[in-house]
Amino acid sequence: MGRLDGKAAVITGGSQGIGRATVELFIAEGAKVVVADLLASEGEALCDRLGPDCVFCKTDVTVEDQVRNLIEVAVKRFGRIDCLFNNAGILGQTGGIESMEVDRFDRVMASHGRSVMLGMKHVAPYMKQQGFGSIINTGSISGIQAVSAYMDYSAAKAAVIHLTKCVAMELGEFGIRVNSVSPGQIATGMGKTGPDALEKAAVLRELNKTRQPIPRSGMPEDVAFAALYLASDESSFVNGHDLVVDGGLIGGSSWTERQRMSASVHGALQRQA
Amino acid sequence: MQKRLKGKVAIVAGAGSTGVDGLGNGKASAVVYAREGASVMLVDLNLEAAEKTRQMIEQEGGTCFAFQANVRQRSDCEAMVQKCLQEYGQIDILHNNVGVEPKTFGGVLNTDDAEWDRVINVNLKSMFITSSAVLPSMLERGSGAILNISSVSAERLSPGLFLYCVSKAGVNTLTKAMALDYADKGIRVNAIMPGLMDTPMVERHKEFYGGDREKMRQLRNERAPMKRMGEAWDVANAALFLVSDEAKYITGQVLAVDGGYLCKP
Ligand SMILES: NC(=O)c1ccc[n+]([C@@H]2O[C@H](COP(=O)([O-])OP(=O)(O)OC[C@H]3O[C@@H](n4cnc5c(N)ncnc54)[C@H](O)[C@@H]3O)[C@@H](O)[C@H]2O)c1
Ligand SMILES: NC(=O)c1ccc[n+]([C@@H]2O[C@H](COP(=O)([O-])OP(=O)(O)OC[C@H]3O[C@@H](n4cnc5c(N)ncnc54)[C@H](O)[C@@H]3O)[C@@H](O)[C@H]2O)c1
Repeated sequence: MGRLDGKAAVITGGSQGIGRATVELFIAEGAKVVVADLLASEGEALCDRLGPDCVFCKTDVTVEDQVRNLIEVAVKRFGRIDCLFNNAGILGQTGGIESMEVDRFDRVMASHGRSVMLGMKHVAPYMKQQGFGSIINTGSISGIQAVSAYMDYSAAKAAVIHLTKCVAMELGEFGIRVNSVSPGQIATGMGKTGPDALEKAAVLRELNKTRQPIPRSGMPEDVAFAALYLASDESSFVNGHDLVVDGGLIGGSSWTERQRMSASVHGALQRQA
Repeated sequence: MQKRLKGKVAIVAGAGSTGVDGLGNGKASAVVYAREGASVMLVDLNLEAAEKTRQMIEQEGGTCFAFQANVRQRSDCEAMVQKCLQEYGQIDILHNNVGVEPKTFGGVLNTDDAEWDRVINVNLKSMFITSSAVLPSMLERGSGAILNISSVSAERLSPGLFLYCVSKAGVNTLTKAMALDYADKGIRVNAIMPGLMDTPMVERHKEFYGGDREKMRQLRNERAPMKRMGEAWDVANAALFLVSDEAKYITGQVLAVDGGYLCKP
């Protein structure tokens, strides 16, 4: 018995990374899944591997007609839609405010803010009619803490997290829950494809080890499990929440060697006095 | 499907229910842990209440035993840890559910020192004591999950409840601080903030509604953005997720199980 038996989900950005890990987990838990992404060959290969309960729908999530079509495809194919995971997204630009490229800024905002808005806009009527549904949007710890690198991305993610809460207030009384999941440092090939993506993920897996209190990199599965909880009926009273999966990163630094050293110096001084 | 807490040992502090026969957050959590394969030590000041939980779990074929302890007392908590290690050999999960509301609703001027001490000790200091009693054995094994039951009152103040709010804000901060201190030792610490729940603990709120229980339930349902209160099972399922290995990258988090109450203007 799976925890998503009988449910149908749409997962955007499902061709690789966090999205793909979630597709695999949802299928393993008994869901039927429509995978939406721009990367068609990866997405189709994934669905072929996972069987007839998993279908690919090539979609640019920033284009309204395509998002409307995506939701229709899911409802036509499976007769219902229990979960929409708005997860697709692109990286922001480095460099400060003075060097911001305006077109790129708009693209980053659209890939996160606009896409999440469009997904919710077009799934809401179906979920309202059903009287149930769970919408999950991918935020980021960048949307919670201010970092000057990737400021366009951070601002877009803050918009995602807040829009999530606003829509949660509107749809809650129809039995629809709207939450976000905010990953920390996850080892994916974000922004790259194919072998480059694999290589980036492997590098990050090493690099990320010391970037948060839990001494290992976050993995796509870590976020997928959070999405599973939010998609399942186990979270039927969780609404408007941003679930952070970051190994403790936003909480601050844990005891580092340096702190340990200064604590022991402090202790020695106290004993001398 | 593999049980999600197979082979794990959980201590649930406050595993009984107010009114003994009802179903509160702690009781439901203990039952869910047992269903998922954990061996559960049911700790409560009120042994009769813990025994009721034991009966429920045993009827379903689960493994558990009841134990009387006052979590405000260090000696009781040390005995609790000893007993758990003796019975089950390890401790994987500490679930701190004990919490009480002030005896009277009111502000600073309606509260004496004894009441301040009582509420802060039961709601906050107890979690410090149970944690410090359990941590050495978790540290020895390099793994463990601690879950503290807070409340939306930690972040959203209600008139007349200041002392409860202060104690629960302390629980949130204790949670985050402990998470940082032990993250590199394999121990995770998280909390849950239940919102408006339909549990026996809140029966006494009918005072606010002229003693009319149905009116209280109706108005509490309306105040929640999902137009209903939550159930003890909602807290239990959230707890299961946070203490299980599925959440092994989640620490220092305070999860609201409130139907959206905290977002509401
Ligand atoms: N990797 C991390 O550390 C991290 C941290 C926080 C948040 N996130 C967020 O998690 C989500 C997934 O990221 P990931 O790390 O798996 O990256 P990824 O690049 O591996 O996956 C993102 C997917 O989205 C797709 N996509 C991008 N734009 C699209 C569009 N317009 N239409 C359809 N599909 C599109 C890509 O093709 C790709 O398959 C993103 O929203 C990202 O911002 C990632
Ligand atoms: N029910 C709600 O609406 C709600 C809302 C927000 C937060 N909470 C929190 O949830 C927790 C309790 O939920 P519940 O439904 O299980 O409550 P409950 O009152 O039904 O059960 C709590 C149990 O703790 C025991 N206990 C009290 N003091 C103790 C002590 N000193 N030592 C050992 N055991 C002691 C009681 O005997 C009781 O059996 C509390 O932390 C409470 O603040 C509840």
